Amino acid sequence: MVSVVLPSLLATQAGGRRRFDVDASTIEAALRALPVADLIFDGSAALRPLVNVYLDGEDVRRMDGLATPVSGGQTVRVVAAVAGG
Amino acid sequence: MRDGGVEGPLLPGWEIYHAVAVDGIVYVAANNFVYGATVQRSADGGSTWERSDPIEGLDKAWHIEPAGDGVLYLGGDPGCLFRSDDAGRTWQPNEALASHPTRESWNPGAGGLCCHSIQVTPDALYIAISAAGAFRSDDDGETWKPINRGIAADFLPDEDAEVGHCVHKLLAHPGREGRLWQQNHCGTYRSDDRGDTWERLDPNGLPSDFGFGIALDPADPDAAYVIPEQGAEYRVTTEGRLAVWHTRDGGASWSPEADGLPDPAWTGVLRDAMCFDDGGVYFGTQSGSVFSTGRGGDWREVASQLPPVCSVSAAEL
Repeated sequence: MVSVVLPSLLATQAGGRRRFDVDASTIEAALRALPVADLIFDGSAALRPLVNVYLDGEDVRRMDGLATPVSGGQTVRVVAAVAGG
Repeated sequence: MRDGGVEGPLLPGWEIYHAVAVDGIVYVAANNFVYGATVQRSADGGSTWERSDPIEGLDKAWHIEPAGDGVLYLGGDPGCLFRSDDAGRTWQPNEALASHPTRESWNPGAGGLCCHSIQVTPDALYIAISAAGAFRSDDDGETWKPINRGIAADFLPDEDAEVGHCVHKLLAHPGREGRLWQQNHCGTYRSDDRGDTWERLDPNGLPSDFGFGIALDPADPDAAYVIPEQGAEYRVTTEGRLAVWHTRDGGASWSPEADGLPDPAWTGVLRDAMCFDDGGVYFGTQSGSVFSTGRGGDWREVASQLPPVCSVSAAEL
């Protein structure tokens, strides 16, 4: 299982849960398994521009993006980018 | 607010552009700069919320208008209209508006290309978009006719343009079919023929031609309330005076109601931050105050120290 950790606003939208353990083999599959997937992805199935996703501390945009493989024991962290101060 | 007290925040982290209650359910047009636009609904007065299915093509949710029998309309950016037939769970785009032949002549106003006004009457559906203008549908949204003849648009090169007008708020009087009121970027107007022609009203005593909100008294089709602002480049109350201007004669004359309001006050009132209910007007300011009054009575500040108030609605829950 992969752990996905959400920021507070998404956790509220997910019924108050901050951490989800999901069965997934890619970042995209892990995020799609969440009840807030519609807030993470835009209409073209890409990550919303101000949503950052880290796999064990590494920005997945610097890896293989949504296709980045994940495996059991890893942690995916969703972070809202800070824009504009 | 409930029973005179402030509760909440009920949906923290979301910008609520408009809130409305129907049949005990609260619907909000909710926006977040990271997570996008959606409609959220609460059946328990705001304790818990249910998010609608994703609304494709919606960049910002601006206004929700109930149409009865579980039907709702949603207006938003970019100049789009959606309809829900299942009490806000799913939304379908209005294709006629999305492909309107005048669309290339629409331009975003300061708040974006927003469909912010939707009015449902027995014989027509009306919308207004800033800055495209007002439109009427006589066939339940299958086609849309621009209804902007006679409306000023000082910023357009063609003063007779069919579209491109900057409506700030459009309301239909519920008691007189065909009577519309609008606060525009360039004046305050009334129509008695479903928008085919308009009469300009701000020269009849209003201190400016600019403002956003407008409120109507359902019991009196000749009564309307506006809060004038200095102008497009200086969007605060005229001469630092916060006042609700009131007409009881269809806009032939206007008088201010300011007793109890702060003076001086340099603030603004956004387009959905004003409503009429139970004999009086309620409005909220961009400086975070909410005021109410009975008909003709003194104003009372009923909430303060809020963030900028985007929407004021009165409801029984």
